[in-house]
Amino acid sequence: MGVRGARFGAVVAVVALAAAACGGSGGGSKGNSFSVAITEPDHLTPAQTTSSYSLQVGESLFDPLTEIDPKTKQVSNLSAQSITSDDQKHWTIKLKPGLKFSNGEPVTAKSFVDAWNTAAYGPNGWAANYYFANIDGYDALNPEDENAKPKAKTLSGLKVKDDTTFDVTLSEPYSQFPMTLAVNCFSPLPKEGLSDFKKFDNHPIGNGPYMMDGDWQHNKQIKVKKNPNYKGPRPGNANAVTFKSYASRDAAYTDLAAGQTDALATIPAAKVSDAKKVFGDRFRSVPGGTVDYLGFPLFEKRYDNLKLRQAISMAIDRKGIVNSVYNGTYKPMGSLVPQIVPGYRADPCGQYCQYNPAAAKKLLQEAGGFKGTMNLWFSNADPTYKEWMQAIANLLNKNLGIKAQFRQVPAADYLDSLSSHKEDGPYRQNWIMDYPSAENYLANQWGTDNRMGWTGPNQDKFLSLIKKGNAASTATAGIPYYQQAEDVALKDMAMIPLWNWQDQSAWSDRLSNVINDPIVGFHVESIKVSD
Amino acid sequence: MWRYVVRRLIQIVPVFLGTTLLIYTLVFALPGDPVKALAGDKPLPASVLHALHERYNLDDPFVVQYGKYLGNLLTGNFGETYTGQSVASLMADRWTVTAQLAGTAWIFEMIVGIGLGVYAGLRHGRLGDTAVLGLTTLLISVPTFVVGYTAQLLFGLKLEWFPTAGTQDGWPVSYLLPGIVLGSFGLAYVARLTRTSLAENLRADYVRTATAKGMSRVRVIVRHTLRNSLIPVITYLGVDLGNLMAGSIVIEGIFNLPGIGQQVFQSIQLKEGPVVVGITTFLVLIYLLANLIVDILYGFLDPRIRYD
Amino acid sequence: MTETAEATATATAGGDVGGRRASLWGDAWLELRRRPLFWVAAALLAFMVVLALFPSLFTDLGPNKGCVLSSSKGGSTAGHPFGFDTQGCDLFSQVVHGARPTILIGLAVTVGSLVISIVFGTLAGFYGGLLDSVIARITDIFFGLPFVLGATVILVAFPDHGVGAMCLVLVVLGWTTMTRIMRSQVISVKSMDYVRAARALGAGDLRIMFRHILPNAIAPVFVVSMLNVGQVIAYEATLDYLGVGLQYPTVSWGLQLNVAQDYFTDFPHLLVFPALFLSVTVLSFIMLGDVLRDALDPRMR
Repeated sequence: MGVRGARFGAVVAVVALAAAACGGSGGGSKGNSFSVAITEPDHLTPAQTTSSYSLQVGESLFDPLTEIDPKTKQVSNLSAQSITSDDQKHWTIKLKPGLKFSNGEPVTAKSFVDAWNTAAYGPNGWAANYYFANIDGYDALNPEDENAKPKAKTLSGLKVKDDTTFDVTLSEPYSQFPMTLAVNCFSPLPKEGLSDFKKFDNHPIGNGPYMMDGDWQHNKQIKVKKNPNYKGPRPGNANAVTFKSYASRDAAYTDLAAGQTDALATIPAAKVSDAKKVFGDRFRSVPGGTVDYLGFPLFEKRYDNLKLRQAISMAIDRKGIVNSVYNGTYKPMGSLVPQIVPGYRADPCGQYCQYNPAAAKKLLQEAGGFKGTMNLWFSNADPTYKEWMQAIANLLNKNLGIKAQFRQVPAADYLDSLSSHKEDGPYRQNWIMDYPSAENYLANQWGTDNRMGWTGPNQDKFLSLIKKGNAASTATAGIPYYQQAEDVALKDMAMIPLWNWQDQSAWSDRLSNVINDPIVGFHVESIKVSD
Repeated sequence: MWRYVVRRLIQIVPVFLGTTLLIYTLVFALPGDPVKALAGDKPLPASVLHALHERYNLDDPFVVQYGKYLGNLLTGNFGETYTGQSVASLMADRWTVTAQLAGTAWIFEMIVGIGLGVYAGLRHGRLGDTAVLGLTTLLISVPTFVVGYTAQLLFGLKLEWFPTAGTQDGWPVSYLLPGIVLGSFGLAYVARLTRTSLAENLRADYVRTATAKGMSRVRVIVRHTLRNSLIPVITYLGVDLGNLMAGSIVIEGIFNLPGIGQQVFQSIQLKEGPVVVGITTFLVLIYLLANLIVDILYGFLDPRIRYD
Repeated sequence: MTETAEATATATAGGDVGGRRASLWGDAWLELRRRPLFWVAAALLAFMVVLALFPSLFTDLGPNKGCVLSSSKGGSTAGHPFGFDTQGCDLFSQVVHGARPTILIGLAVTVGSLVISIVFGTLAGFYGGLLDSVIARITDIFFGLPFVLGATVILVAFPDHGVGAMCLVLVVLGWTTMTRIMRSQVISVKSMDYVRAARALGAGDLRIMFRHILPNAIAPVFVVSMLNVGQVIAYEATLDYLGVGLQYPTVSWGLQLNVAQDYFTDFPHLLVFPALFLSVTVLSFIMLGDVLRDALDPRMR
């Protein structure tokens, strides 16, 4: 290589060095933009998904009718001007004037109604379909029989009044309705979202602070940029956000620690102590909306015994397990609903959820002992589940002399088995919050056709209390009824609370004003970038 | 020779069909409903379930499902995942990673393995030989995941010679450490095979003759014994490439490489038939072709072998 | 291969090799006795077998007993030389109890695969033709089967994932390797002169298979199967590691390694001890196999 070659080499070297210097921390550097690590979403169309990763992206692209302040739990209007009702059954929704989608199309009442009808129409196969189940006319779009065709394509309970007003009639009074409208699946859709579903899913068009910058690059990233047509109350601070897709949370954390991405809201428990060291006060642990429970099959004779269930509950050292398996990052629970739910009380369960081996032993004797082997059911979806199931098995053996073994079921079969009451022993159950209301947990897990097989007069009482809470004049007025319902459910101990997940997040030093949200992860529009 | 090749190619067909049928049956036999698995804990109304079942032919009897799948496969349509992603593009993405990993491991085990094997074979019975034998035995005995984690901790985290995980540095940097770990097992076998083969051949009559005729040792080795000794080694390397391309669930997990191994494992858990069958069928084809190429090569290397 | 088989055959037939009455296995034993490596491997293996058969000699605690959650992941202290595992159980005791399922599965699967490979390999090699073709295609199909998929499906029928179920899985998925070797051995022995002589003298198929082919073909297969035990143990550990193998209340080294991976950087002892025992066990099988192979192969003397 002669002089020429050497000079060329030097030029290349200088350019490379300059590029590297300008590149900075390598994670989405220039132009007031940042990246967030997520796991690959399944769909981006709002009502096609219930996955939290999809909701994280959806949070940037769509403005539903209301939003919930993650700290105060206050429900405030987002694209709605007002949502009113006299009887919690008939609602009138007025929109803010002049709202537009990112493609310029105006956001009208019809945008909402058409979107909701599309989601509620069974044959479309959209995952968030069940959110619309309490709107009048739902059954006509969702026949039970697999050979029947739906009788209608639109919900009779939705009526467009004018461009900015529509009426919603629910099948029953539901005081939590405005709160549920904050969920992404109630977002409006432009005309394009109503026809070519596949195309729209790869390039959704919304009314939120950001809009898609190019198509969804599957298994790689989703880029969004500021929506110039946005006139809502939460404009974005950064110019652009990149949602980087990772195969696992461990992989995401590795990149975060290496500075290859700017933020992660789902740090695995095993990495928390490292994260605390590396990120300092840019690490945050906030109460989450996910709760782990242990359910009992009441239809199995041995477990149809209240004292036995109480004994088992008192033989489990929740704090000890959280410390050894989750490095103390989760919160042991004595209540059925987590801390972030309005109306949460710290310990309605009382002594029966406290670790007390001596009392547990006594209760077991009073219950008449336990015959045979106990099968512990769970799905092997995450290695930590096996860990705490083993801890429980060891504790039950040590404290109550019960022999336990595992029944691990593949994820594809687990919930099905539970719903068809195949389980013959205590099983792991968890619930991820849809919206911060006690009703969301209680109705879904202890309601009609629950997996524990809990029926009888107490359950009837429970159901009527839930109904009363739903019929209350405001969401807050419903709370005392939900609390009473929770007490009823706790008394029978058909399913006992274990612990509440805490969401662990951390971010790079480029970011500030980071707001966490238990449902979606981050409020990306609030995040400020300082380069 | 050509008749042999054609015959082997024809034999691939029943194996291909048999494998797709077997795998499809096995995935079908897994309990559970993949559509329900995707819904997670959230309620799935009957109408939505039926709609999705229809979309993915899950209501059809097994024979019909398999028939539809095979029909699509033969026209090059690998189907969709249950979230609507193209299986073909998913496979392409994942295989790019696995191919880079497998290639790195293969080159490593070939070069270092043969090198160590030749060294040991030449010093048969002496200290160098014993050392190599001891090292390779150790490499075979320690489970892969132990080697992987130890290597990651030592060379990645503590010494920082390599990146600890992920693919962000591209090839070859991101794939060096995982490739070496993955290849260490094959390296042990290659080294042992080379060593044994070389040592055997060095005692053969024709070597004694050549030496007696005055040929230098180096020439004897390079011109005569090496080629003969490498026959079993090449056989092993050819087969091993097929194995490596199947991906390594363990290595991919430890080093966060989104490859085929992890994908198959996840898809089995979620009962995603099209993904599992698609990947496996492709793998079987690669494996059979690799075998065929090795056997043909065998015929060229060893004149005693004749195919008819 | 030609030379080996001939010398082997002569030796097995009880003929004179090198001036003294010899048998293949007798000669092998004489050779083995002299090698220190054999004794080392045998001693290690014996230790592991004792560990598996009589764990109470080494620890007072039963499997998964005496666990205190608050000691989780603790380091070594008085009375607990290996420290504690994630459940707060004494790690030394758990490692001792981990020996039995591991070694049991390793041996049982190898014996099972050996039996199957002898039957199928001999039939395929001896009769050739269509039978051989069919068996060869079946082994091809099994080679393409992803190990984890096969294991998961088979284990569905055995929800307790017990030792017996694991043995079944590993035999069903692993018989192909040794069958191929047995088959090629049988093919090469089949064309030997003495076999032709036996046929000419009027010996039937079964007699030829049992008296002439099997004893001569089996030595290399036996060696490979010994080396294979290590492989089987590693496979089983991998299944445990992936979470689809053995499960509580069984205690196995593979399971211990599975748990250790998440805490490995902060608590390496969780990984080191089970890995050590597992590696030493596999190592001793392989060393034994190596030494045995060298002893049985007359060309290497």
